Amino acid sequence: MKNLKPITSVVLATLLLGLIPFVSDSEKSYLVYFLFLTFCHIVLTQGWNLVAGYTGQVSLGTHAFFALGAYTTAMIWRADLFSWENYYFDPVTMILSGLVPVIFALAIGIPLLSKLHGDYFALGTLGFGEILKVVCIKGGQFTGGPIGIMLPSSVYTTMRPHYWTALFLAFLATGVVYFMTKSRVGLALVAISEDETAASSSGIYILKYKVLAFAISAFLSGLCGSLYAYYLFQVSPEGFLILRWTLYPVLMCVIGGSGTVVGPILGSLLMTAVFTVTSIYLPGIHPIFSGIIIILVMLFMPNGIIRLWKKGV
Amino acid sequence: MFDYLTFGLLAQLFINGILFGTMYGLAAIGLSLIFGTMRIIFLSQGAVIILMAYCCYWLFTLFKIDPYLSIPIIGLAAMVLGAGIYQGLFRRAVKMEDKNITLLIAVGLMFLIENLMAVMWTPNPRSISTGYTSSSIPVGGLAISFTRLMGFVMAMLSTAGVTLFLKRTLVGKAVRAASEDIEAARLVGISPHWVNTIAFAIGIGLCGIAGIALSTTYPFDPYFGFIFSLKAMIALALGGLGSVFGALLGGIILGTLESWSSFFISGGWADAVSYGVFLLVLLFKPEGLLVRSVKKV
Repeated sequence: MKNLKPITSVVLATLLLGLIPFVSDSEKSYLVYFLFLTFCHIVLTQGWNLVAGYTGQVSLGTHAFFALGAYTTAMIWRADLFSWENYYFDPVTMILSGLVPVIFALAIGIPLLSKLHGDYFALGTLGFGEILKVVCIKGGQFTGGPIGIMLPSSVYTTMRPHYWTALFLAFLATGVVYFMTKSRVGLALVAISEDETAASSSGIYILKYKVLAFAISAFLSGLCGSLYAYYLFQVSPEGFLILRWTLYPVLMCVIGGSGTVVGPILGSLLMTAVFTVTSIYLPGIHPIFSGIIIILVMLFMPNGIIRLWKKGV
Repeated sequence: MFDYLTFGLLAQLFINGILFGTMYGLAAIGLSLIFGTMRIIFLSQGAVIILMAYCCYWLFTLFKIDPYLSIPIIGLAAMVLGAGIYQGLFRRAVKMEDKNITLLIAVGLMFLIENLMAVMWTPNPRSISTGYTSSSIPVGGLAISFTRLMGFVMAMLSTAGVTLFLKRTLVGKAVRAASEDIEAARLVGISPHWVNTIAFAIGIGLCGIAGIALSTTYPFDPYFGFIFSLKAMIALALGGLGSVFGALLGGIILGTLESWSSFFISGGWADAVSYGVFLLVLLFKPEGLLVRSVKKV
């Protein structure tokens, strides 16, 4: 029963974290907001980890899928698609917001991944994000232009549902990555990142697995985007289609240790803490420190924190 | 409905596109050199260009040095900066297998430069205005802006300089050899660190030229650089990696495309058009439009 040990500890940790809103005042304390942001980052980071850390395809399109999820939620709500009373934290809306990015991921993933390798794939996904940004800014009534879509913020009562949903999504993302890597799929993904030709000649259908990982990552990013839309109540290009939502997950994943299950969690926790502390105590100049930290970590700990004490993982 | 389309108008758009495109081209040549020898996507390229534009601006505002006279100062400073960036930031990382690391260092550097500029010099847009900023040269009914023409000339001269350097000098040949095959280059005694330092120095030196050209023609702000990096990358993909002339031509194609699409569709959509073309090129001819398709083993 050795395999059950990490699972039980993660479930226990999740349950304990779930109790925090009862202990700490969710409206006044910074802790709940900080953890909420950390969980959001974990979701995005695990998604990127699956594509880049395990499969070896560096994607720079996380913010595009994140924004697609948010826009889907906002549009369903605005158009009153199901004529329901409440779209706030509606599971169907959220799942649809995950599925729309998946459709886009398939549409651009299949042609891009079948043709492009390495850096070209990164540039292609980056280009997709930039096109989406122009479309959203120029979309007129449909996307709300540069101001975006405003959601009725009167439904907001407390931070608690955001916290729990974020916690659940982080748990889900970690679980998905864990079970995928323990299965045949995970073996195939790692084989692809190690040596594509060898993987292909041992009968792995490379494109299928690459696209699968890309689509799951898009699904997770979309869900997270939907949740963040419920938090901001304004879905705009400036809030969602910014490179921050791609660069932070990449940074957190690499700093924690990409290609591991625990690394992204550590990285998200650490970097969210660093960004939060610097933005409180050094307002205005904190992005400078973020830049310096990225450079220093990459120079001196390029394999991530987790590999500091687990050599050769 | 296209009554207003005269030959003169189309030609004017074309020329504006070419003149602006050479700036993309300059940045793309730098990227191509750095990518060629080290396989680094140097995303901070645009931020460095803006930094150089600020240097030009301050030399002009504080010391009254004419932008075109500051070319040797800024060019030299940029080359030293480039060598410094390589030795300080990339020397260790370039040996590693994982390419994410160099990409992220470049991203970190971009954050650092952009925000440093924003904090020190405020995020307000700046522009240089000299006696000749708005003057233009009439050529056969078309008006060619003097500063843009100077930018074009500077770009052409530096492209020619870099090409000659790469083709005629021993060091230049070493840089080309290293971008063809770094292992083989090492076998014949080329020091990779030396070659990489040279490539970085020239790449960032070109940023200096592009910065001067930019500061004299357009208003700029600290965050403009990232877009510039992306455009340079598109130019590079259009022209094909590893060819100096191709990178310049890629920039010119991109500039013309933007100039036409921003006129015919609308300013904001021009970016979408260039990214769309970029994606199409990546999909159907990833080796670049101007390179004959050769399968590499």
